Amino acid sequence: MCVGLPARVVEVKKGMALVDASGAKREVSASLLDELDPGDYVMVHAGVAIAKITASDEDESDEILEDLL
Amino acid sequence: MSIEKKDLARHIVTSYAGPKIRIMEVCGTHTHEIFRYGIRQLLPPAVDLISGPGCPVCVTPPGFIDEAIYLALEKGAVICTFGDLIRVPGSAQSLADARSRGAAVQVVYSQLDAVKYAAAHRDKEVVFLSVGFETTTPGACLAVLQARDEGITNFSLLTANKTMPQAYEALKDSADAFLYPGHVQAIMGTEICEKLKADGISGVVTGFTARELLTALAVVLTEFPKGKPFFKNCYPRVVTAAGSVSGQKLLSQVMEACDTEWRGLGVIPQSGLTLRPEFAAYDARVKFAVPPMDGRSNPACRCGDILRGDCRPPQCPLFGKVCTPEHPVGACMVSREGACSAYYQYGGLTL
Amino acid sequence: MSDVITLAHGAGGKQTAELIDSVFKAHFANPEFTGDDAAILSLGGQDLAFTTDGFIVSPSDFPGGNIGKLSICGTVNDLSCMGAQPLYLACAFVIEEGLPMSDLERYAAAMEKTAAEAGVRIVAGDTKVAGKGQVDRLFITTTGIGRRLPGVRLSGTEAKPGDAVIVTGDIGRHGCTVLLSREQFGIDADVTSDCAPLWGTVKSMLGVTQDIHVIRDATRGGVGTVLYEIAAQSHVGIRLDRAAIPVAPAVSGVCGMLGLEPLYLACEGRLVVFAPQAQADAIVTALRQGPYSGNAAIIGTVTAEHAERVTIRTEIGAETILPPPGGELLPRIC
Repeated sequence: MCVGLPARVVEVKKGMALVDASGAKREVSASLLDELDPGDYVMVHAGVAIAKITASDEDESDEILEDLL
Repeated sequence: MSIEKKDLARHIVTSYAGPKIRIMEVCGTHTHEIFRYGIRQLLPPAVDLISGPGCPVCVTPPGFIDEAIYLALEKGAVICTFGDLIRVPGSAQSLADARSRGAAVQVVYSQLDAVKYAAAHRDKEVVFLSVGFETTTPGACLAVLQARDEGITNFSLLTANKTMPQAYEALKDSADAFLYPGHVQAIMGTEICEKLKADGISGVVTGFTARELLTALAVVLTEFPKGKPFFKNCYPRVVTAAGSVSGQKLLSQVMEACDTEWRGLGVIPQSGLTLRPEFAAYDARVKFAVPPMDGRSNPACRCGDILRGDCRPPQCPLFGKVCTPEHPVGACMVSREGACSAYYQYGGLTL
Repeated sequence: MSDVITLAHGAGGKQTAELIDSVFKAHFANPEFTGDDAAILSLGGQDLAFTTDGFIVSPSDFPGGNIGKLSICGTVNDLSCMGAQPLYLACAFVIEEGLPMSDLERYAAAMEKTAAEAGVRIVAGDTKVAGKGQVDRLFITTTGIGRRLPGVRLSGTEAKPGDAVIVTGDIGRHGCTVLLSREQFGIDADVTSDCAPLWGTVKSMLGVTQDIHVIRDATRGGVGTVLYEIAAQSHVGIRLDRAAIPVAPAVSGVCGMLGLEPLYLACEGRLVVFAPQAQADAIVTALRQGPYSGNAAIIGTVTAEHAERVTIRTEIGAETILPPPGGELLPRIC
């Protein structure tokens, strides 16, 4: 239900963040996230940053599988 | 270990030899990505992957489209919408059909862009078609607050927003484990998933890349044979236990729960969100006194059974005959991620 | 079929094909009526290619080109895809009253420059002015004629199992550029249109070998639509390798944001080529020397199985089907 795109925060001001996803840039709302700094990675959905991203999917998957075994 | 780390999840999934299991991916984007990556082709016969109702377009009833077309054609409003809704059939026509007959329909990427559009076109009434689950609805709330703060009075929402927990409850007998929608849980946190586990319902929060989908499936297929209810957050890089507290606050500040109709599933009590009375000025139904519209679906359409996992798309009498992506009857065919559309476009399991 | 024309009828996909079959073919059918980019007519012992194309792009100026340049490229490329050297063009303008003269001047200059590059002469034309609001700035229609090189036989029906599928460059840039130029989605990216006249590109391939089966330009509907067209016309399957398909990072980013498939974004300077595997490497090597095909790549092969289907080997090595073209390109959030 929710196309999300990981993007890098370039600039934050007045509740908005300029994000960059491989060169595609857009202003998105930063209202849902408490602290956001340039360089952070966020998940963007319909013009709103819905979460901070704290790891790569590869590292995380490796960790989860290690726990499993 | 002889298998490389990156191939481990895939190995667990393809070599599963446990009991038969029904896994429901609740989220439409999961359905879409699973087909796009070809993950279904990897599953052994004991694993049955069911596409659940997690696509806001699929569960939007025809009456909602009728209301939107009424606002466009009778009230002269500009309809702003996500592209997903353009081809959804109403009782008699879709927004694309209405547009060919003169309705003003504007596709936007974000609800906030609809507010911008309203600000730039003060002489027009702008109505945003507010569909979506907990991931999408905060954006609609932000749009309303922004319109209020900036004194933009020609903007309103036609709401059909829905919440997932009631759907998990309604569908719990249709699956042995859920792949929980990562981006809904990013807002709402994982408390609900823990609660469902306590009630005996298993599931894992799942991300959207191929690695994440395979890892989540591997976790399900490792835990399920142990015979105990389980829950694991397999997407912690995005989903925290608490979720977005600001997002949840925003939802309860602007919206309140209501009964709502899910296409195919009927009315599920308290599973919808609508604007609180203090925001009535931004509620298109109130503002334009929209008459009640029940909408009518094709009675032969089995979208409801498909959403519940009781029927596969090819078993519907309309599938691929009168109901195709170009001429959809049921909403499951309209959205690219709808179960029927995905079956039709990706050829089901025939590869 | 719906009882009114919708935007999907003009999107180049299945509905466009249905419209052509049920209305135009029904009335116009004759032995020379073509499903290819241009008709081949034998006149005075010569094979001539003949075609026409209308241009209504909005906005009419975009990074990498404008409607004038586009109107020359489109027709030149349709002729080129038949292995015909473009010779002469005619153009018809429908202009909205109030269009600044300087804009028209700019488009005409772009047409002159592009025609010169392609080696064609614009020899006839027509001008109509429509009332305010009756057209969006201006519409241009160009009609072209070219001479097919002797010995060349290119057609959408000629793809054979075992053929390599080549694209002449990274895909989807024109569609992406125009989408962003409309400023509807608030997205900014450093992308320019791939719009280019491609006779030189075709000639360079035919210089390597005349053993090429199909050349088609991927315009509206993008590479994906062309692949489905060829799969149907030649009654073959096409297997793509996702990892081999060249897409500029910014185009991928835009597609990710809007939930679009780059294979369905329009190009205006990209060819899809089907040739025997044995010739493929030499063709790609030649293409990579050219000005508009520096990142040409082999993206798949033709198969006898899965006829009329396009399948894709995905990032994880599984096989799936490329969803067939779905009409109007709509951004999605779910």
